[in-house]
Amino acid sequence: MEGIGFEILGALLTTILAFVVGMFFGGLNRKITARTQNRVGPPVYQNFIDLMKLQAKRTNIAHGFMGHVAPIWIIIAATTVLMFIPILHDGLWFRNLTFRGDLIFLLYMMVFGSLGMALGAGQSGNPNSAIGVSRGLSQMVGFEIPFVLALVSLMIQFQTTSIQDLMAYQHETGQWIIFANPFAFLATILSYLGMFRYSPFDIVGAPAELASGPISEFGGKYLGTVMTGGSIFTFVKLVLMVDIFFGGAGNFGTGFWGVVAGLVELVVKTFIVYLIPVFIGLVSPRFRTEQAIRFFWKWPTVFGVIAVLWAVFL
Amino acid sequence: MNTLTIILLILTIGAAFTYFINAVNHKLTAISAFVTITIATGYFFGLAELGDQFKFALGDFSMQWGLNAFSYYFIYIVLGLSWLALLYSIAYMEGKARLGYYYGAFLLTIAGMFGVVISQDFISLFIFWEIMTWASFLLVIYNYYYNIKTEGMKYMIFSAIGAYAMLTAIVFIHHYYGTFLIGEALSKGAFSFNQHIFIPIFLLLGFGIKAAVMPFHVWAPGAYAKTPMSFTAVFSGALSKMGIFGIALVFSTYYITHNAGGFIASQILAWMGGITAVMGTIYALIQTDAKRLLAYSSVAQLGYIVVGLSTGTKLGIMAALYLAVLHAAFKGALFMVAGAVEKQAGTTDMTKISGLIKRMPWTFLVALISIITLAGVPPLGGFVGKWLIYEALITESNNYFLAIVIFFSSTAAFLYSYRFLFGLFLGQEEEETKDVKEAPVTMLIPMLMLSFVSIITGVMPGLVFNPAAKAMNALGFADTNWDMTSLSNIWGNTTDLSLIGIFIIIVFILGFAVLTLKGRKKTKSVGTKDISSSGELWKEGENWTFQQDFFKPFQRAAAPLYKFDMDKIWSDMGNALEAFFGFFRKVYTGNGQTYAIYVIAFLAILLIFKDYIFN
Repeated sequence: MEGIGFEILGALLTTILAFVVGMFFGGLNRKITARTQNRVGPPVYQNFIDLMKLQAKRTNIAHGFMGHVAPIWIIIAATTVLMFIPILHDGLWFRNLTFRGDLIFLLYMMVFGSLGMALGAGQSGNPNSAIGVSRGLSQMVGFEIPFVLALVSLMIQFQTTSIQDLMAYQHETGQWIIFANPFAFLATILSYLGMFRYSPFDIVGAPAELASGPISEFGGKYLGTVMTGGSIFTFVKLVLMVDIFFGGAGNFGTGFWGVVAGLVELVVKTFIVYLIPVFIGLVSPRFRTEQAIRFFWKWPTVFGVIAVLWAVFL
Repeated sequence: MNTLTIILLILTIGAAFTYFINAVNHKLTAISAFVTITIATGYFFGLAELGDQFKFALGDFSMQWGLNAFSYYFIYIVLGLSWLALLYSIAYMEGKARLGYYYGAFLLTIAGMFGVVISQDFISLFIFWEIMTWASFLLVIYNYYYNIKTEGMKYMIFSAIGAYAMLTAIVFIHHYYGTFLIGEALSKGAFSFNQHIFIPIFLLLGFGIKAAVMPFHVWAPGAYAKTPMSFTAVFSGALSKMGIFGIALVFSTYYITHNAGGFIASQILAWMGGITAVMGTIYALIQTDAKRLLAYSSVAQLGYIVVGLSTGTKLGIMAALYLAVLHAAFKGALFMVAGAVEKQAGTTDMTKISGLIKRMPWTFLVALISIITLAGVPPLGGFVGKWLIYEALITESNNYFLAIVIFFSSTAAFLYSYRFLFGLFLGQEEEETKDVKEAPVTMLIPMLMLSFVSIITGVMPGLVFNPAAKAMNALGFADTNWDMTSLSNIWGNTTDLSLIGIFIIIVFILGFAVLTLKGRKKTKSVGTKDISSSGELWKEGENWTFQQDFFKPFQRAAAPLYKFDMDKIWSDMGNALEAFFGFFRKVYTGNGQTYAIYVIAFLAILLIFKDYIFN
């Protein structure tokens, strides 16, 4: 069970798993949205059809070098974060590189894709893209603050900066961190709303207003790659959430059925977390950028500060 | 003769020679300056050794210069960056007026900086400090030679305040401890915050002004932006680090003893650094001139370094020293990029030019690498600095909220980082920039060499940790753990940089190959006018560039932060002082009879109090 071949196989399997689950989540999101709006909606595998269509486009429009590599940067961000967070609790399967990076690294790696995308969108010269980037980056300054406060509070409380240790703690004590530090969870989930960019924080790529914002000049294979990276990243963010606050997944042993049960647990848990931004998005209108930033600097930040104080004094 | 003396002589004689040769031949000036710095640098790295010392007595004072690991570390920055900047200057300053003046002052500044770091007594420290300040002042006003604008004045006034504060502290040290030697004063506890607290405070004032710490930073943005970019690279990259050098020196007592007074002082300074970082960042992101943007960003980056120094922990000081080198590398490169754009396109105003990426691809590459480093995104060197500083604040010194402040600043730094790249290189390719050419090779080489530093430190930060650890050893830290390719904190959590670097490169190559090869023949490259525009067609002469008020939403959201304007506070203070002294000036009535009354009144007072005064 050792060796470089095994590692590479594991990494590939993880990526494929993340991709498939992420794509299905996207499809389910569309289905749920449709049902709430009293439509039938596309089938849950619609995203796969879209992706195949995009990859099979007869012509592709390239907007210079930065535009060409921008989708790759999203893939890099998504897969790197995927490699550095634990998928299952036990360290044998899907272990990848989890022991080699800590939360600060993940924090920075998670913005890598957005920044790369912003550069690509910038080179296209489309003013709509530039406006979208300006909004997206501004909004990022908003939601990163409560997110970091929450992570810092966990680092203080458990005297570690590694997710591995956070999961081990939850496994040993049987107590999920959502109960050990609820305010950290509140701050995180609120900043996740901004990270997912569903309503009310979807002004970055507002389709009716900005022609999809940053991605408006991407099409064909480029948009397909962006979509692939985005799907993996959706799953990655959810796994991170589950790992930190919901005890991770996969406490059923290292046998084949144990691993399968672990994966099922992971998918169920991530889907439940995923429903939070989806449901909030369904019933929310759209914030202007400055309103969104102000929102993040108000209650989520207060929760974050409480979480830090909680960790210091309790 | 002693190596240190010889290097100082080379630099000063070279400065004078360069100044005078300009009268003979303009082309020789740049070459003479470059040869001078090359000889000095080569001589230093070839022959100077740790422990070299030079003493001589001047009346009652004995002056002492020496080289320890800590000063050696800063000489890497000073000489390395100066060498590259002078190489860059050859093409950048070509055809400009007063070259002798420029190069002479440049070399003199380098001599001053070199002198500051090798000084082992306060008298020579002060003399070199003044040489450095005055020579750099000449360069700040270089573009305003016949009309010294406010920026030059601000720099001069603040430098003067700093210098007087420093001189006061030096006099007090001699008064209380009877020595001018830095080492002796240190061992006698002159920098301890528990006795004679104003000595370290005055020294910190002097050094802090050079490092542009809030609220004394107001000179920096203007001075950095108005100076020729080739010097600003050194100004912001190396000269401001002299302040950092001094702050570390003053705090070295606290690092060892961890006394209570030092703790309070370091906490105050750390928060000042944090506020500097935030204010520098939010002002950087509203600038429309790339040079001013970088200038404010420099202020912010020095804020991080001050925070690192003030934590007083191993990781914190390592972070500060590491960032000092890295800031010299990436900000030096960025100022050079701004200079290249200014030379080739005529302006750095981001509302006037855009879309230079295809015209200046190499310059863009340097800008991209340096900006990624500045933003602290893995896998380049900037991330290491960010990691060190967060871990120092969170794991070693309990400054949790300061960590958040720093994080806010570095997230907001993404905004101006993007603004810089987008404003100059991306966006619409307009008619005005159609004929811009790539910068000359002699300008590109130093820029690329500095970017190489940013890249290599991303996977092998140990190359910088090694001399930094020795420098910390000289400051009194017995052992500093460091690895060539990985980072670890005191809780035992590690981040393996080489693995991250390798993984990212593999994914990038795979992704690039797939994306390029797939449907290669069907991929069509288009210009920036060929975009989706909701049915509206581009008309000749129409400007589609989005550059004005780029971060307006952020500005609106953070409006309260922008209300606080230190510049205004200082100018209000200046006006108040002027009014105050204006009032006192009224004693000079110009009337002889009034003066006669003053004389008589003075004599009367003297008579009344003669017993007390003459005793």
